[in-house]
Amino acid sequence: MKIKKLFKSSLFIRIILLTSLFVILLIGGFTYKHISNLTNSTRIVVYTYEVNVELEHINSYINDAESVHRNYTQTKDTLYLKSYLIAREKINNSFVQLKELNIVNVKQQENLTNLKKIIDKLFLNFSKTDALVKTDEINTGTFRLFSFEEKVILDSIRRQIKEIIDLENKLLNERQKEYQSDLRFTPLFFYFVLLITLVIIIISFNKINTDLINIKAKNDQLLIFKESTNQSEIIGKHGNWVWHIDSNLFTYSDNLYRLLGEEPQSFEANFDNFLKFVHPEDVDRLKNELDKMIVDEELPFVSYRIVQKNGKIKYLKAYAKAFYGIDDQKRLLGITSDITDEIESFLVLEERNLELERNNKELSAFNYAASHDLQEPLRKIQTFISRLEEKESEKFSEPGRQYLKRINSAIARIRLLIDDLLQFSRTNKPDKEFVMADFNELFENAKQDVAVAIIEKKAQITSDLLPKGSVIAFQIQQLFFNLLSNSLKYSKKETTPIIKINYSKIKAKDEPKLVKATKSNYHKITFTDNGIGFDQKYSEQIFDLFNRLHNKRDYSGTGIGLSICKKIIENHKGFIFAYGEPNVGAIFVIYLPVDTI
Amino acid sequence: MHIVLADDDEDDRLFFTDAFDELKMDTKVSTYNDGVELMKYLNQEDALLPNVLFLDLNMPKKSGLECLKEIKNNKRMANIAIAIYSTSASEEDIEETFVLGANIYIKKPSDFKALKKVLSEVISINWQYHTNSLNKDNFLLRIQ
Repeated sequence: MKIKKLFKSSLFIRIILLTSLFVILLIGGFTYKHISNLTNSTRIVVYTYEVNVELEHINSYINDAESVHRNYTQTKDTLYLKSYLIAREKINNSFVQLKELNIVNVKQQENLTNLKKIIDKLFLNFSKTDALVKTDEINTGTFRLFSFEEKVILDSIRRQIKEIIDLENKLLNERQKEYQSDLRFTPLFFYFVLLITLVIIIISFNKINTDLINIKAKNDQLLIFKESTNQSEIIGKHGNWVWHIDSNLFTYSDNLYRLLGEEPQSFEANFDNFLKFVHPEDVDRLKNELDKMIVDEELPFVSYRIVQKNGKIKYLKAYAKAFYGIDDQKRLLGITSDITDEIESFLVLEERNLELERNNKELSAFNYAASHDLQEPLRKIQTFISRLEEKESEKFSEPGRQYLKRINSAIARIRLLIDDLLQFSRTNKPDKEFVMADFNELFENAKQDVAVAIIEKKAQITSDLLPKGSVIAFQIQQLFFNLLSNSLKYSKKETTPIIKINYSKIKAKDEPKLVKATKSNYHKITFTDNGIGFDQKYSEQIFDLFNRLHNKRDYSGTGIGLSICKKIIENHKGFIFAYGEPNVGAIFVIYLPVDTI
Repeated sequence: MHIVLADDDEDDRLFFTDAFDELKMDTKVSTYNDGVELMKYLNQEDALLPNVLFLDLNMPKKSGLECLKEIKNNKRMANIAIAIYSTSASEEDIEETFVLGANIYIKKPSDFKALKKVLSEVISINWQYHTNSLNKDNFLLRIQ
């Protein structure tokens, strides 16, 4: 996204550059035209001036010629005749000059031809008069006629010259006007073009400036990122490397060198130098993977060992993937991570597991001894006592018979304890399978197991419809059995025991008690009885092993039953809570996760 | 009726024979001290095969489970009704002996009267009928 923006920005700058070039060319063109207009107009002025000067010259030469001619007619001095001829020559020169000025206007050309004709006429007249002067016919009528004609011709010459000058000035004015109208809009146009150029320059400056600021900010971010990468590489014990495929060059990050136990950038980054560190047993395998990497341009997760120069062996894991930059250059971006700690802790864990397994085996051997070898002598003692009571009863005194009874009940208690302890240790075994079971069925089975006590105490047991769940079935049955027999055991002597089992499906977030819940939905099953209850302050203690709240002469518990319940609930990742009130009753609430997996 | 017990425990053998003596039934009871002795007897060509064989599981030299396997794999003996007679009633033992084809599982009672009751009940079982309706629930004999 950002890269695209930068692209756009460079395109923008290109457009600005082209526009500016175009504007400058435009300005240049217009300036050229404007200056050439100015030059033209100056030339025209100069030209008109030159024409006028030449005409003035002609005029003055004519005047000269006229005055010289008059002097001649009066003095008859031939010297004047000479200067008169000079004037004539000068006039001819002026015409040559005028011709060289290259007059374009047709009317003006006509005028000039006329002028020449008239001047020729004047000089013809002069020569006629001269002839009369030579023959002294000055006072004749012809002479006077000639003089008069001369005057008329001179007038027409002056008129003609004036006409030419006027026309020339008029033409000058017209042309000047023409250029002026051309030039009038040029400054305005220049001004606008300049304004637009200024705006464009300001916009592009602004754009370039913001781009620069952006690039600077990006650069800063990159620097921060680079530094944080360096630090995270040190903390995370990994390094990165880049293989520039096109140029076949490598770059290793500083920490990659450290992983190898070397100073950063202390040797040239390439395959061969790296392979020198790889454990001899892993070199071939890694080489294989790297060869594949060159073909596939990808390196799947590969683990290998390296040997540092100080002889330490480290476990490394690497992964690499192809990557295309903005410049479309293909690179392979790799990460190499030091997993020595992981491997070592895994090995330690494995060791511990083996130890645990050995301990478990010992424990189950102990369990067997407890179940079988301890029970057997006890059972035999009981059987022998029952034989004594049956066969030899009469031979005992009354206290003797009492002692036998006491011995019997003490042994019964030991056996009960052993049974319960075994039960407890069996619930410890973690390899039980979770299967889908109907809680109603398990509850009925548990009820069957306490049927004798139910009948004996005339207990009333009511239960909601219970759910199905994936559980360790015999443990849940054991749980129901323990809770039922607990309620029956601690019932009040003179009251009918009433046990209610309620069920609801709940959400963990709705139950304030379930702050440590790991699942969202739970089965909540409540056992409520009207027994002797207990003080709420014992609600936690009640689940501890061998913890008894009551005298064992009155109540026959071993203090293991509820510990088994807790253990079973823990095996199912559930929760159990007890609420009690002395002489009112006890409530046991169990929560079992709906999804055990 | 021929009854055989294989049990390494002297006291248990005594209780067993005493119980049959007191039951006063028409039974011939023979006892063997371990699995090896038992199998030695049963493997004799002319041995009188018992109607019911009571088998303790935990015995030296040859355990009850091994005996059970051998008997069930032997065509001549396969039809002997076998009652497992053991101190423990662990899930694993019950499961295993059921699968191997034992007919009933008895947990040794701790009261002589109860012992007599159990034995008389086992003796009077109709094995044909019992074996046909045998399942995991009635495999373990429960004495009320």
